[in-house]
Amino acid sequence: MSDVKNPMRGTDGREKESRKTTGGHRIEGGIDAVVIGAGADGLAAAAYLGKAGLRTVLVGAGAEIGGRIATREIAPGVEGIDGEHLVTLLDPEVIAELELYRHGLEFAARRLDTTYFFESGNVLRFDGDLAQAALLSLDNDDDREALERFMGEVLEMAAFLRPAFRPLAFPGGDASPKRALEKALSGAAPDMAERLRRYLLSSADDILRARFGDGPLRTLLSAETAFRSATPPHEPFSFLTLLRRFAGEAAGLQGAAAYPKGGAVSVIAALRRAAQSAKVDVRAATPVESILIEGDRVGGVTLLDGGQLRAPLVIAAIDADQAFLTMIGAELIDIGLQRALTARRPEIASARMQIVLKGVAQDDATRRNMMRRLVYAPSPEALAKAFNEARSGRVPEHVMVEAIFPTALDDGAGLDKRQVVSVMAHPLPFDVAPDAQRREEIRTAILDSIEMFAAGFSGRIEADDLRLVADEAAMARASPGAYAAKPDILRQWALSSAVTGSGGITGFYFCGPEAQIGTGLSCASGRAAAKAALSAFKRGAA
Amino acid sequence: MNGQYDFLVIGDDEASLAAAAAAAKAGALVAVQRPFERKKRSPAASAAVPNFVWRRLDLQDYDLTLEPVSARVTLLKEGGPVATYQGARQTAEALEAAGGHDYTVWRDFLDEIAALGEDQYLTRALYDGETPAGREFAALLADPQLLSKAARLFGPCADLLDDYFADPKLKLHVAAHALSLAGAGPRETGTASCLSEYATEDAWRVRTPKDGPSLRIVLERVCHDAGVAFTPEKVVEIAPASGKTAAVALANDDKLRVSHIFFATPEAAAAAGAVNCRNGFGYAGHAVFSMRFRLADGIEPPGGDRKALYQIVDGAEDVQKARDAAVEGRLYDKMPVEFEFAPNGELIARSSYLPAAFYEDGEWRGWTGQDRQAAAAIMRERLASRMPGFANYIRRSEAEVSAPPAGPSPFAGCDRVVIQPRRHDAIGAAVKLIDRVMAGDE
Repeated sequence: MSDVKNPMRGTDGREKESRKTTGGHRIEGGIDAVVIGAGADGLAAAAYLGKAGLRTVLVGAGAEIGGRIATREIAPGVEGIDGEHLVTLLDPEVIAELELYRHGLEFAARRLDTTYFFESGNVLRFDGDLAQAALLSLDNDDDREALERFMGEVLEMAAFLRPAFRPLAFPGGDASPKRALEKALSGAAPDMAERLRRYLLSSADDILRARFGDGPLRTLLSAETAFRSATPPHEPFSFLTLLRRFAGEAAGLQGAAAYPKGGAVSVIAALRRAAQSAKVDVRAATPVESILIEGDRVGGVTLLDGGQLRAPLVIAAIDADQAFLTMIGAELIDIGLQRALTARRPEIASARMQIVLKGVAQDDATRRNMMRRLVYAPSPEALAKAFNEARSGRVPEHVMVEAIFPTALDDGAGLDKRQVVSVMAHPLPFDVAPDAQRREEIRTAILDSIEMFAAGFSGRIEADDLRLVADEAAMARASPGAYAAKPDILRQWALSSAVTGSGGITGFYFCGPEAQIGTGLSCASGRAAAKAALSAFKRGAA
Repeated sequence: MNGQYDFLVIGDDEASLAAAAAAAKAGALVAVQRPFERKKRSPAASAAVPNFVWRRLDLQDYDLTLEPVSARVTLLKEGGPVATYQGARQTAEALEAAGGHDYTVWRDFLDEIAALGEDQYLTRALYDGETPAGREFAALLADPQLLSKAARLFGPCADLLDDYFADPKLKLHVAAHALSLAGAGPRETGTASCLSEYATEDAWRVRTPKDGPSLRIVLERVCHDAGVAFTPEKVVEIAPASGKTAAVALANDDKLRVSHIFFATPEAAAAAGAVNCRNGFGYAGHAVFSMRFRLADGIEPPGGDRKALYQIVDGAEDVQKARDAAVEGRLYDKMPVEFEFAPNGELIARSSYLPAAFYEDGEWRGWTGQDRQAAAAIMRERLASRMPGFANYIRRSEAEVSAPPAGPSPFAGCDRVVIQPRRHDAIGAAVKLIDRVMAGDE
């Protein structure tokens, strides 16, 4: 940032705040960076910038900080948490660099045990998860060895590809991530290179069928592949989706599903504390109307109330439609990015349901299950049919379900309290504005799927709360499409590359949901955007 | 027939014979396994013979005449037929006459989607299973433009069509013809690649006139002249012989030692029970059902053009629904059907939108006689829906299913099997593939 553009620079190297009004609206200067969006990636980006000494203002449109992850009363006297209920992809480098443990992050379970339920009524229990296949309680030694061998390969490939699952195309950023990626991927041993050649284009179903025939291991791995993806396991590239899932390192354990104590809001709280300790000015209920573009550079933002925040760096941690098409304007972004944004056709979505149960579970088996991740894995045939139905805009009869008991996980002693079940269901049709009938159809499909492994469950419901992507988008003031299930990894790479390229606007960086490869709370995009912005800032490019 | 061969080519379609002849003329020892008796029948239109294949096989020395099909026509349930032609100008003129503005982008569409498929970097991955690894892979991820091209080429066909055209009938027409070989759905990942093949010159199908030798007969002659050996005996067992050869036992107890077992089309592979193990674009999970009808005089296709290639499709959703049904293991009564009139007047109809196996009561099972009858009834019904009174003109018909046979495959686990994925330009692609395999051996 040059002194010419920032005449208010003080002797301490920071800019002095300048506030003046024109036409009744306030203009704030002396700001180094504005971060739009108070979700996890926005908080992470702001914390990195603040930590580096930039005077950073973070503005969120909603009344609360956290974007789609927020606490809400789901039934009289019962609070639930919207958004994510587990953490699989949270970037370990963000945890370390922003010292999130010091800022209050704590995991109630770093590697949740998982129980899989099948249509046939069979059950498979893992002490840990698939990534720890050795601990699988399988009777058949052949199956156990096949799974161990397979998961060994998957984890090795996933770890090898981890650098490829980070957003890369930030303009003006440090070239080292690209060099690091090239170095990492060039160093493939011959057998790894051969596996990449054989598997990267493949459908998961082809590979799983060849490895496991028609057995339950194929079923559960198909379900893990399909979960929260818009690409069914029988289509090309779906094996990459599985690799992306197992490249995650929540709580430092590869492939694990972790539960943060207090739920996902505690990650938000830790990020907020990290941002505030880095002196980030966090402002909720401050919606942005537009991003100021002056020539080919960013100049700050205009707020909905008419005020302006002038800054040479703007990071948008909101959905791409809002950032590029609404706040910047389609006419100011390049044709490639326009095409990438308008070409999207979301078809599939997941849904959250939080259910308050009557009474207290008495039997030991149920109480043990309350401390686990429970997965209902439909057969590959049923899963394929569910995807076909959802793509056609119909609610499938049965869906995959992932359920946890947050109340039990938060406090084991709470087993005797009223329990809340948190459910993530997939695949469902994507709706921009679902009506009451559609909501009821989805609710029925989810409850019917739970009944497949917990007969009589519906009779124990005291209250339930269904949350669709349209609801999450409304709360976060985002486009619903941003929260739809993501397509295959190749198309995610292409979209991420297009949006993080930021349309060729100097000083503007994007780390909204479209920048991320994979689904779930990650913060890797916020980190990458902040690093690129800082690098450019230091070089004076901003 | 005992001995050692570089290639055992299984199948006697045009692409298999062209690949066998090309390899033999390049000095390879080639054997072709083909059925015991081939019925004398007028052939369906095949992929075009690219110039380089024509020259490689010296086809000018044989009495071969090929003529292109006159048009690709789609017969929709409502509204008139949609037609496109080999010449971009003729198509643009026809589209302009039909109304709308899509004619203005027809040529750009053909050029751009064909160019997508010409990127060697991407097509090597697509057709040869040569996924870029290492440095190339990093370069792909670091290049937004290449990533964008890859996402378009490997994305759904419907998305790419939406980029260019407004008329839903035209989009349905293009999708129906482009996806007909693969039996794929327009919303399916990867199906845009079918469009890029569809747009190439060699994807335009050709047929031989009634009074001339068929392309297959000519290619057989070329094979004989090039020293290709033929056997009607089926493969019953394959065992690894050394690191680079396999020992093949035939039904008559003959033993071959071969370097590669080559399938020029996925249909040949499916019929033999071999799965497409080279890449993920085989679109497994479907069968090809075909019928031949000997008809009484008097029936004509809508529009009366007997040299065109027709698709019957009801609506925009039906192609995807038919694919969904095939994946789910059931028949779809509004499946797309392709048909043409052979030079001898027979009507040849086929559909790739049938299940490889049927899923009933939680179990998979193979095709039965009843399934064949049900599929045949649907196909007759589909034809009658566009040619009223069709059933009254049928003098004789026969049906054939190309689906994996039940039971263990002799090819399972054999790493010397090469299968060409489904291609619109099957002949050129098969010759290029066998060339690459030979080059790899060297």
